[in-house]
Amino acid sequence: MVKKTLEDIKNTLKGVDASEISYAERGYHLAIEAQKGSLIGVVEFFADKGFYLADLCCVDYAEYLELVYLFNNFKELCRVKVTLKVEPDKPVAPTISHIYTMAHWYEREIHEFFGVYFEGHQKLTYLFLHNGIDCYPLRKNRVPVTDDDKKLLDSFKPEEEEDAFFINLGPQHPSTHGVLRVVLKMDGEYILSAEPVLGYLHRMHEKMAENRSYQQFLPNPARMDYPGALLFNLAHVAAVEKLCGIEVPERAQYIRTITCELNRISSHLLWIGAFLGDLGGLTPFLYAFDDRENILDILESATGSRLTYCYFRFGGLYNDIDDTFIDMTKKFIKRMHERLGMYEKLITKNVIFINRVRGIGILEQSEVPKYGCSGPIIRSTGMPFDIRKVEPYAAYDKIDFEIPTGKTGDNMDRYMVRMKEMEISLNIVEKAIEKLPSGPINAEKVPKKLKPPKGDVYHAVESTRGETGVYIVSDESDKPYRMRWRVPSFSNLMTFPALAQRTLLADAIATMGSFDLVIPEIDR
Amino acid sequence: MNELNNIISIIGKETTRAIIGLIGVMVLVVINALILTWAERKVAGHMQRRIAAKEVGPFGLIQPIADSIKLLGKELITPVNVERPLFYLAPTLIFVPVLVSFVVIPFGSYLQVKDINVGILVILAFSSLSVLSILIAGWGSNNKYSLIGAIRSVAQNIAYEIPLLLSLLAVVFMVNSLSLKDIVEAQRGLWFVILQPFAFIVFFIASVAETNRTPFDLPEAESELVAGYHTEYSGMRFALFFLAEYTNIFIVSAIATTFFLGGYQGPILPGIVWFFIKTYFLVFVILWMRWTFPRVRFDQLLNFSWKVLIPASLVNLIITGGMLKL
Repeated sequence: MVKKTLEDIKNTLKGVDASEISYAERGYHLAIEAQKGSLIGVVEFFADKGFYLADLCCVDYAEYLELVYLFNNFKELCRVKVTLKVEPDKPVAPTISHIYTMAHWYEREIHEFFGVYFEGHQKLTYLFLHNGIDCYPLRKNRVPVTDDDKKLLDSFKPEEEEDAFFINLGPQHPSTHGVLRVVLKMDGEYILSAEPVLGYLHRMHEKMAENRSYQQFLPNPARMDYPGALLFNLAHVAAVEKLCGIEVPERAQYIRTITCELNRISSHLLWIGAFLGDLGGLTPFLYAFDDRENILDILESATGSRLTYCYFRFGGLYNDIDDTFIDMTKKFIKRMHERLGMYEKLITKNVIFINRVRGIGILEQSEVPKYGCSGPIIRSTGMPFDIRKVEPYAAYDKIDFEIPTGKTGDNMDRYMVRMKEMEISLNIVEKAIEKLPSGPINAEKVPKKLKPPKGDVYHAVESTRGETGVYIVSDESDKPYRMRWRVPSFSNLMTFPALAQRTLLADAIATMGSFDLVIPEIDR
Repeated sequence: MNELNNIISIIGKETTRAIIGLIGVMVLVVINALILTWAERKVAGHMQRRIAAKEVGPFGLIQPIADSIKLLGKELITPVNVERPLFYLAPTLIFVPVLVSFVVIPFGSYLQVKDINVGILVILAFSSLSVLSILIAGWGSNNKYSLIGAIRSVAQNIAYEIPLLLSLLAVVFMVNSLSLKDIVEAQRGLWFVILQPFAFIVFFIASVAETNRTPFDLPEAESELVAGYHTEYSGMRFALFFLAEYTNIFIVSAIATTFFLGGYQGPILPGIVWFFIKTYFLVFVILWMRWTFPRVRFDQLLNFSWKVLIPASLVNLIITGGMLKL
C-alpha cells in the first residue's frame, strides 16, 4: 500500500517531493512537503484515493509556521504527513474545507490558536476561545490578536428568520452530558440546521504540555477523557516511548491490554446508561453503574484511583497486578457475561427502544472519509477499521479478536456494535490473563528526565470513542515543543449537523446520545 | 348535636353533603399526593437496585412531608419576561378540573359526594380542561421548551381523548347509564374487564397518555425539553403541577376501577377498602411502567392513537353494539 501510494504520488503529482519515512520511529509512512500552490492538488489526490484526514494541526517553529496534515486510509494502513510552511508575520494558507468537511473545524482551531488565515474558508470564527483572549495562545512569541480577529470572538449570533426559531440546546441541558451547546434552527419539532458551539470546557491541555516535562504531563490526559482515562494515558505514554525508542517489557504490555479493555467496558457501560437516559428510560443507568462499580473496584486495586487513572509510566507501569486482581477480574468476566444476556433481554428486545433507534441517524459509509470519524461510529457503517487491529500496540497483536461491524450505520447499529465490543473486550481480557507472562514490568534504563531526540512522532490508540492520536514534536529538551491531541469525539461530533438535519428533535437527541460524546475530550 | 342538626336543617341536607364531601376530597387529594410521592420514590428505588428514601421517619414515610415543607419554603421565582397573569393563573387552574372529577367518583356504595346521572361526562369534560392550563403555562412562561411541551401536550390530549371516550362508551352501552354508581352496580356479578378486555386495555393506554406519564411523557420529556411546560416554575407553583399529576393518576385509576374492575365491590372487606386496593394497584402499574420503558417519539405517539387505538376501539364499539342487539 505504501509503495503503491508513493508510486502514484510520483506519477500523478509532478514536482511534489515525497519521501518514505521509518514507520517504527515516526509513526507515519510518507512525508510530503507541499507548497501553497500544490497543496490543494495533493489534498485532492488523497481525497480521490479514499484517504481520510486524521488530523490537521500547526507547529510554530519561530522562523515559520508549519501546517501538518495527517492522512490515513481506512482500507489499509498508510499514514501520510503533508506539511506546508507559512510565513509567521502574516500567515495565510489555502483552505481544504471544501474537500474535507472536518477541516472546517481544524482550520478554525488553528486560526484562533495560531492566527493563520485560511483563504476561502466559509466561516473563520472562533471555535473554542471566548472574550478576554488578546493573543494567539499557541504561538511561541506573543502575537497580539488583530482587530479583525477580535470581531470574530464569540461571534455566534443567530439571525432571526420567519417561520423558524432558534433553540439553544445546552450548555445547560440534561441530554448534552456536559457543557456542549448546539444551536438548533427549528421549524416546529423539525430541525432545519444544527450548529455545535464548543469551548465551554476548554482548558488548553496542549499549551499545558508545552510548559511541563513529559512526566509532569502524565496526569493530564485522564482529564480529557474521564470515562476512558487509561486509553488516553496509554496514547501519551506510547507516543513518548516511540519517540525515545523505549522497549516495554512484555508483562507490562499485557497488563496494559487488560486494564485498557476493562476501562473500555466501564466506559461503554456508562454510555449505555446515558444513551437510554436520553431515550427516556432512567433505570438502565443504575444497572450499568452496578456493573461499572465492579470494574472500578478492580482497577482501583491496581492503579490506586477510580476515575482519572494515571497508571502507565514511560517504559512500564506504576504498579504490578497481583492474584487478587486476577481473581476479581475472572469473577467479573463471569458475572458480566450473564449481565450482557440480561441487557439483551431488557433493552435490545424492547419494542419502544427498537422503534426509537432503528433507521434513525444513518451515517453513510461513503461520507465517513470526509469527516474522518472513527471508532464504533464507523464500525457501525460496516467498515472494520480498528486501530487495535491495523496498527497494533500493547499486546493486541498477540491476542486474537474480531471486530464487530454493523450494516446501516444507524443508532441501532451503533448500540449493537458497542454491546458486542463489550463482549469482545471480555474475551480479550480473558485471553490476556491466560497468556500473561511473568517478568519485569518496567523497562531498564529509562532516565528520570526524559530528553527525546529531535523529531516528531504520531501515535494512535483505539480509545473507547475512536482513534486517539498524539503528535509530539521534540526539540531535545525535557518538555515537548508541541503536543497535539487528535481526539475522536471532535470529528465524530462534526457529523452531527448533517445527521440532525430534517429530523425530529427527539431523534437528534437520540443520535447525539449514540455518539458517546465526552465534552472535556472535544474541548481539551 | 342539636346545634349541628339545626345547622343542617338551615342549609339543607344536600349542601351539607357537598361541603363535607369537598373537605373530604381536599384531604384525599393531599394525602394521595403524599402517598404517591413516597410510593414513586420507593418503587423507583427498588426497581433501580437502590433503597430510596429511608432516613425521615420509618421507611422514609415522613419524607413527603419534609419535601412539601421544603417546597413551601422555596422562593417563587418569576422570570422577567413571562406573561404574568397567565403565568400565575396556570398552576391554580390545573387544580380545578382535578377537584371536580372527585365529586362523582363512588368510593363506596354510599360514599359519593354527588351521584350525577351524567357522571362520566363531567369527568371527561373537566379533564379536557387540564390541557388548557398546560397550554397557558407553556405560553405564559415565554420559554421555547415550555411552548414545545405545551404544544405536544395539546396534540397528545386531543389524540388520546377520543380512544379514552370510545373505550368507556362500550361499557356505557352495556349499562345504559352514564351514572358511575349504576355502572358499578351493574358489575355485581361479573367485572367488565372480563366482558370488555379490549376496552380496558385501550382505556389504560389512553389514560397513561392523558396523564403524561412514561412512555408517553412527551410534554415534560426531560432529555429533550428540560422539563417541558413547567420548566420556568419553582417552589409551590411547581409542586402544584406535580400534585395535579399525581391526582390525575389517581383519578384515571379510579375511573378504570369503577368502569372495569367492579368499583367498590368485593368480598369480606368493606367497599371503600376494595376500591382503594384496586385503584392503588393500577397506580402501581403506572409507576412500574415509568421506570421500565423508554419514551416514544412524538409522531409514533400520535400515529399509535390515530391509526391503531381509535380504529380498534371503534370496531370494539360496533361489535359491542351488535352483540347487545342480538
